[in-house]
Amino acid sequence: MLEDILSGIFSAGTFNQMLRSATPVALAALGGAMTEHAGIMNIGMDGMILMGAFFGVLGSWYFGSAAAGVALVLVMGVIVGLFFALFTVKFRSDEFIIGTALNTFALGLTSFLSRSIFGTAGTKGNPALPTVHLPFLDAIPFLGRVLNDNSLFIYVTWALVLVMWLFVYRTPYGLWLRASGEKPETLRTAGIAPERMKWLASILCGLLCGLAGAHLSLGQLQGTFAEDMANSRGYIAFACVIFSKADPAMAYVAALMFGFFDAIGLRLQDYISSDLTNTIPYVITIVMMVYVVVRSQRKKRHAGKRLPQRQT
Amino acid sequence: MEQTAVRFEHVSMAFPGVLANDDVSLEIKKGEVFALVGENGAGKSTLMNILYGILTPTDGRVYINGSPVDRFAPRAAIARGVGMVHQHFMLVPSFTVAENIVLSREPRKGRIFFDSAAARRETEALSAEYGLAVDPSAVVGDLSVGLQQRVEILKALHRGAEILILDEPTAVLTPQETEELFAVIRRIVGQRHMTVIIITHKLYEVMAISDRVGVMRKGQLVGVRDTADVDEKLLASMMVGRPMLYDELEKTGTPGKELLRVEDLKVRDSRGLAAVRGVSLSVRAGEVLGIAAVEGNGQSELIEAITGMIRPESGKVFLLDRDVTGQDPGAIRAVGLAHVPEDRLATGVSAQATVADNLLAGRQREKRFTRFGFHRRMSTVERYASQLYERFDIRGAGTQAPAGSMSGGNMQKVVIAREFSFDAPVLIVAQPTRGVDVGAIEFIHSQIIAKRNQGCAILLCSADLDEVFRLSDRIVTLYEGRITGEFSGTFSKDEIGWHMTGGGKREEAG
Amino acid sequence: MDKLKKLNWGYLGSLAVSVLLAFAIGAAILAVAGFDPLRAYAAMAEGAFSSARHIGDLLEYAMVLCLTGLACVLGSRVGIFNVGGEGQLLLGAVVSCQVGVWLGSFSPWIALPAAALAAMAVGGLYALIPGFLKVKVKVNEVITTIMLNTIAASLCQYLAKGPWKNPNKNMVAATAQLDPRLWFKSLIPGSNLSTAILAAAVITVLTWYVMEKTSKGYEMRLTGQNPRFAFFSGIKTDRLVIGCMVISGAMCGLVGMFRVYGVEHLYRSSVSNQYYFEGLTVAMIAGYQPVTVIFLSFFFAILKTGAQGMELTAGVPNQIYLIIQTVIIFCMAAESGVFSSLRAGAQRRKAQEDIRRKEGRDHA
Repeated sequence: MLEDILSGIFSAGTFNQMLRSATPVALAALGGAMTEHAGIMNIGMDGMILMGAFFGVLGSWYFGSAAAGVALVLVMGVIVGLFFALFTVKFRSDEFIIGTALNTFALGLTSFLSRSIFGTAGTKGNPALPTVHLPFLDAIPFLGRVLNDNSLFIYVTWALVLVMWLFVYRTPYGLWLRASGEKPETLRTAGIAPERMKWLASILCGLLCGLAGAHLSLGQLQGTFAEDMANSRGYIAFACVIFSKADPAMAYVAALMFGFFDAIGLRLQDYISSDLTNTIPYVITIVMMVYVVVRSQRKKRHAGKRLPQRQT
Repeated sequence: MEQTAVRFEHVSMAFPGVLANDDVSLEIKKGEVFALVGENGAGKSTLMNILYGILTPTDGRVYINGSPVDRFAPRAAIARGVGMVHQHFMLVPSFTVAENIVLSREPRKGRIFFDSAAARRETEALSAEYGLAVDPSAVVGDLSVGLQQRVEILKALHRGAEILILDEPTAVLTPQETEELFAVIRRIVGQRHMTVIIITHKLYEVMAISDRVGVMRKGQLVGVRDTADVDEKLLASMMVGRPMLYDELEKTGTPGKELLRVEDLKVRDSRGLAAVRGVSLSVRAGEVLGIAAVEGNGQSELIEAITGMIRPESGKVFLLDRDVTGQDPGAIRAVGLAHVPEDRLATGVSAQATVADNLLAGRQREKRFTRFGFHRRMSTVERYASQLYERFDIRGAGTQAPAGSMSGGNMQKVVIAREFSFDAPVLIVAQPTRGVDVGAIEFIHSQIIAKRNQGCAILLCSADLDEVFRLSDRIVTLYEGRITGEFSGTFSKDEIGWHMTGGGKREEAG
Repeated sequence: MDKLKKLNWGYLGSLAVSVLLAFAIGAAILAVAGFDPLRAYAAMAEGAFSSARHIGDLLEYAMVLCLTGLACVLGSRVGIFNVGGEGQLLLGAVVSCQVGVWLGSFSPWIALPAAALAAMAVGGLYALIPGFLKVKVKVNEVITTIMLNTIAASLCQYLAKGPWKNPNKNMVAATAQLDPRLWFKSLIPGSNLSTAILAAAVITVLTWYVMEKTSKGYEMRLTGQNPRFAFFSGIKTDRLVIGCMVISGAMCGLVGMFRVYGVEHLYRSSVSNQYYFEGLTVAMIAGYQPVTVIFLSFFFAILKTGAQGMELTAGVPNQIYLIIQTVIIFCMAAESGVFSSLRAGAQRRKAQEDIRRKEGRDHA
């Protein structure tokens, strides 16, 4: 019995599932890393993902091609990013309120439009993103099966992790982006408006979260839209961002960790109620958040512990 | 060749409710060290922020190297060769020295990539050229304040500054670091023919470093002199607009019994570093014990540990002979302590709450303000607040206005009014007059002395040495978290200055 | 007269403009989706008031919004955002329901208080987790509470499908039904409105009273505005924050019980359909002011009930309600953003004027 479970858990299927579960979270976390570096607390990612998922399917359904769906997602991603920045950067509204409102708005809008256009049953079977077969991977025994024949965006995500990492840590713009969040006056006194970097970060976040949604609906679920299909992934992505200190590479690792526990949960469904296994990734996320704080506090053990944080 | 580096013509800068610069006209010559002095809020920093393009003046013109400034933006000012070292450093703590120095004009590889090796090389070259040693790969957040300032200066030089503005550069420096900074200034002015404008309110520094000095008061430039023609006394009277001699404060009575005792207290700061390294002191009824120390030598942590804001690592605090070590502020206040905190906005008030609610904090459960200890009696609260408002001469939009709408001085009066009205036998007073106008200073000082004469034990901590001298019966100097000297009777400024900068310790060691 | 002056006219004006704008934007979205906005809004108005049953549903929903909104305000007063009310509500519902099933043979005078206590205890304890983590470990409560929502929803599903399953095979994912003796009495037959609203009214007044009129409420306010100052002035801030979070959770748990004992009479997931988030949105629009929350609860309950009626009669998806609600938030945020920049500009111009005038005098 136990042997069955263990061999089930450590099979190629599990790791493949890990990759699949991790990818939408990872894409969103890449976007969240941008806003985090720019000093914007972004809890609106869930809504951004949901918009991406819906407009991907809408474009795919309307134009009859997944590529058109992705194109529509990119356009909407920019719009959502601009919208988010308008409030958080330009109007300096409360980030918590705007993020929460964005999530509810996205839920309302996508459900409303979906029901108006597709009826209460939703839509499925629209043109989907292709899976990719890489012949050279066939030769590698275990890893080949894990890495091969996945939906296109899984590979796109790898490229994006690299690109975003280079952008943040190896270009002058990345330097400006990080300065705009950590100490915006530094940038301003150097003659660069930090707001510009914040707008850019917000747009990038809109784009990447949109792609996360597109992967969910057009890739993972093969052209299906279901109401509230983001399913708190935006919040999990936020936790990954915090955990990784907004380092794109580490954010991907954190997302993989989430994916791994999600995959294990799916495996265990044969033995335990799926309602219980569903909670695993969320419990892990809380543990992750606690760990981050404890890690950073271990350094300053004796520091004024009881002091409430200074208001800024 | 144009001999004027900067010319201000009738420059005015108005903020809502305040005229920060009032018709200022001033010329600064090339190759000179120009000192700009004045009290807090006199408008020095505002004028320099205009020169650096951060602020756009409401009126008037500014000329740099003879040509008028038409667009006020840091980028334009930098392009004209203006550099500024701000009082609060404009450095990104998590970046390396090299990254901070090249920020906004980074060397690139293949157009889009940041060339960090080149950045390090440029930093090294610059540091060698000006004799300002720094480690290009060090993370700025780990550096001492003095080194961070050095990075700031290098950053300005990297941007090609010919006119360098230093905003209160010595406020956070030790005397040795100050000496080093002055050596650097002399070097860049002498060798590079740069122009340096230094903002300060320490008059002996003006005498030590500047060629000419301009004095500002309440937004106006009240005079420009050659430093050789003035002395500190004259500058001081120009700054305050009248002889700086305050009325002698009448101190009466003799010290009674000990009310506050601190034994071998050790405290760590918010970063976990040792800030107070074993301090013992005692304060008696009817005396003011002053703490003289340069900022950042543990005085803030010492006070926070005594008042319960942070938990000390070891040691004891006795209040009225009761051990209160490590208790929370509420419990310590109940024993008999009131506290004027050093940072009123962060700790001393709630900016959103009304003045009345701010005046009431700590008394909300008293019988006279509640029914059944629960239901608030708003009319009694209002009456009480109005009384304090009158008695402490608070000026603002009334007791129902939010505290955040008041000026700094009146906000401080709210804090003083609340804390002094507790009639606590022990008073801890930190930076009582920081950012407060002259009239209010007089009032606050007289209130402190009145408390002393009534028999309070007062522990005073202030960055303003004159204030410490004026109010204290005894003074202890604090350096790097340790007491380095204790003085009573008539104080000698030289001797205390020597001890508060670690001189006494060095003497013993040497 | 004095009371009239004390009203925050700026806020009311901004709210009114935002509501109108939101309806206009909602109309545009309706038109784009191919509906006739006027017909839809007419159906909405009719849906809310057409029958006594609808009015009963409306009042019941206003009660839910009001209690959840106040629960949110309770947290935000002391500076902690309880986004986890949904989970606390669901757990309160399932546990109180099962307590009622167990105590089915007892008198309602024993069973109902026991169920209410159980709901409050479960909700409170579930809120204690993020409260403790926030205060003692400094973990952001927004993420933890959201995660706990999902966890709670799954747990309740598990309980309703597994250990506490309804004996009737046809009922999937529901607990056993309560004995009708334990039901809250219906006030308008056929509607959701029950005597629970009386208890809710008492709780509402009590919450308002404590927050606005007592020394405890004063301490809460100071703690939320500047926790450092509150601690400095002698308030035990840690205890206060955790306490408010627990009470907020207990209130949400109680709402769950009200839903079960007043409407559903057993536990299933329709006990709450993200109701807490709608209450939270109301609290945000109300600027976290208790009295405003109470009034706005009725307004949004009308909107929601109307939207549901509209779906039935005009075939317009009721989610237009969520859209209008959130657009109101965006409009209010935009107005305050635009206004503050306008105000800053006006002040700058005025300051410039003043100098010119002064100079004119000097030269004259």
